[in-house]
Amino acid sequence: MNEAFDRRYDENMLQGGTTCCPGCGGPLFWKMALQALGPRTVIYGDGPCAMCAIRNIKIPTFNLHFSFVADGATGIVNAFKAKGWDDITVVSSAGDGATGDISFGKISAAAERNENMIQICVDNEAYMNTGIQKSGLTPYGAWTTTTPGGKESNKKDVPLIMAAHGIPYMATVSVAYPRDLQAKLGKAKDIEGFKYIHAVIPCPTGWRFDPAKAVEVSRLGVDTWAWPLYEVEEGVLRMSRKPEQKPVTEYLKAQGRFRRLSEEQIEYVQTTVDERRTNLLAMEGKRITL
Amino acid sequence: MSFTRMMEGNEAAAWAAKLARAEVVPAFPITPQTELISHIASLIENGTMKAEYIKVEGEHTAMAAAIGASAAGARVFTASSSQGVCYMEEALWMPPGLRLPIVMCFVNRAIAPIGGLRPDHNDSLLQRDNGWIQLYCENSQEALDTILMAYKIGENRDVYLPVAPCYDGYFVSATATPTVVPDQGRVDDWLPPYRHEMYSLHPDDFRRPPRPTNIAKARHEVQKAHDRAKKVIEDVDKDFEKVFGRGYDGFIEEYRCEDVDAVLITMGSMTGTARDVIDMMQEDGKRIGLVKLRGFRPFPSEEFREIAKKYQAVAVVDRNTSYGSAGGGIVSMELARALYPMDDRPLLLNFHVGLGGSDVTLRQIEYMADKTLEAAAKGRVEEAVDWVELHDLGEVM
Repeated sequence: MNEAFDRRYDENMLQGGTTCCPGCGGPLFWKMALQALGPRTVIYGDGPCAMCAIRNIKIPTFNLHFSFVADGATGIVNAFKAKGWDDITVVSSAGDGATGDISFGKISAAAERNENMIQICVDNEAYMNTGIQKSGLTPYGAWTTTTPGGKESNKKDVPLIMAAHGIPYMATVSVAYPRDLQAKLGKAKDIEGFKYIHAVIPCPTGWRFDPAKAVEVSRLGVDTWAWPLYEVEEGVLRMSRKPEQKPVTEYLKAQGRFRRLSEEQIEYVQTTVDERRTNLLAMEGKRITL
Repeated sequence: MSFTRMMEGNEAAAWAAKLARAEVVPAFPITPQTELISHIASLIENGTMKAEYIKVEGEHTAMAAAIGASAAGARVFTASSSQGVCYMEEALWMPPGLRLPIVMCFVNRAIAPIGGLRPDHNDSLLQRDNGWIQLYCENSQEALDTILMAYKIGENRDVYLPVAPCYDGYFVSATATPTVVPDQGRVDDWLPPYRHEMYSLHPDDFRRPPRPTNIAKARHEVQKAHDRAKKVIEDVDKDFEKVFGRGYDGFIEEYRCEDVDAVLITMGSMTGTARDVIDMMQEDGKRIGLVKLRGFRPFPSEEFREIAKKYQAVAVVDRNTSYGSAGGGIVSMELARALYPMDDRPLLLNFHVGLGGSDVTLRQIEYMADKTLEAAAKGRVEEAVDWVELHDLGEVM
């Protein structure tokens, strides 16, 4: 029995213990992701929550501040290329604020250069490590400490923007669907060039819900089409899941951050979700036109 | 094979990056650094140089990529100027604390506003507090040689600091002077391949310095590295001279300082002009010499105290501004602190000149030399900080 535990501990690339909040989807995401990526991986990550989650990691990591996304990884990728070390996967990790706001241009530039790396957005939909402030990827209507009356603008659609760069691979994932998540990371690992993976990560602290329900809330995100799972490979869009659509209110009501939404606002959110669903289904199987 | 030809500073610097076998070059173009990186691109394109040239989207990324590549085990070269240096500022604080021996050329250019495309030293001097070693070059040859030395200094295990060879835009970057490009084989013998004892990001050999538990101690380590770098810089310069036949007297060069009452202290390209003025003035029997400051970080305080004993007056020619400072330009304030412990200090004068890249003329240097000699003769300083370009010196410009 002890041997089984030892073996499991050895195989798990995320060490026991974490500095994350209870119920954080971060460690969950990294445990699954690292299983798919394997030990010949180097992770370059930014400062905040995403880094807390991967601080206790058994593979090489290197990080600067969160205004440094994809850039240090670009250096690492090119150093490995100069050395002829071509069997190492380089991952660049960033939170939603880094991805959508301060380092948005850096990710776009690395995509344009088609650097051989996997860029991951660990998206908990606000600056959570500094204490829940609005980011460009905070959804419409969400309470944060800088949007006490609810966010007035929409979440930036980074996945489609990244796909529009014409990169070899882009995928959205959720911790509620581990097999899909791992298959996509495994695929990204084997593709040459710039890959973008966007994971919405449940955050009980910032989203205001019971830490025990992290996976449940994430699943509602996918099943209401608030966070649809799809991939764009060589420009062709494929839906990964087409669940029967639940009303978005089920997802909103599960989280305290949407508590103050009026009926009209909920209706507006439902409209945007419906529109995205229609658009995605219309694009399915087709090349995304740039 | 070694060869000699007329070469602009930027081309000489590109050859140095090639000779040093820089493996990764992340760079973003900015005037007057541009020809440097386009020369590197050409050297790579025509197969002369083998390196990964990353055409990044901005200077912040250029330095960040340099950091990543250096930590991952590659020898790195980059360069920037002026606004680019300012945009890079956040990233520039990382390599000293991380102890990464990146080499970056500062092709000096004034910072906006009230400047232009031409050189003053505020862009590199802006970095005086963050831990970079700074060496100022007078011409193409010195730029080439200093870049080679920079790798040997920065990669020394007693140092492990980033090094910035600085040279003036246009006056050095775009002015062709005879330059010897040494033989690759001799450079290879002199400069071993890069291997960082503290770092590797390879999964089979992962090493990284532990996170500091005591901030003050960790910062003091960077200070100690600067202290040790002094000897390393002197040694590397002597060794370079032995192997390649050219040396630069380490931190400070005294030019015609025998039997003089006073000296001007210059940095960068204006030193060449000042040499001519000193020659002419000494012919006229004036007792003025020249001190060229080559190493600004670490600052050669002891060396200055040693030579300052000999003069009644020293004058710092500052091609920079520090508005509202304790008095005058940045180099003069550094020197004041360095000389303060002396029992018998020389008089200290400070001149601002060449700001925003305006020419530093023979007449201006003569003016400064005369003022300094006057102070030495009178035994007192009339005007501690003098903005030379505000005077009408009767020149036809």
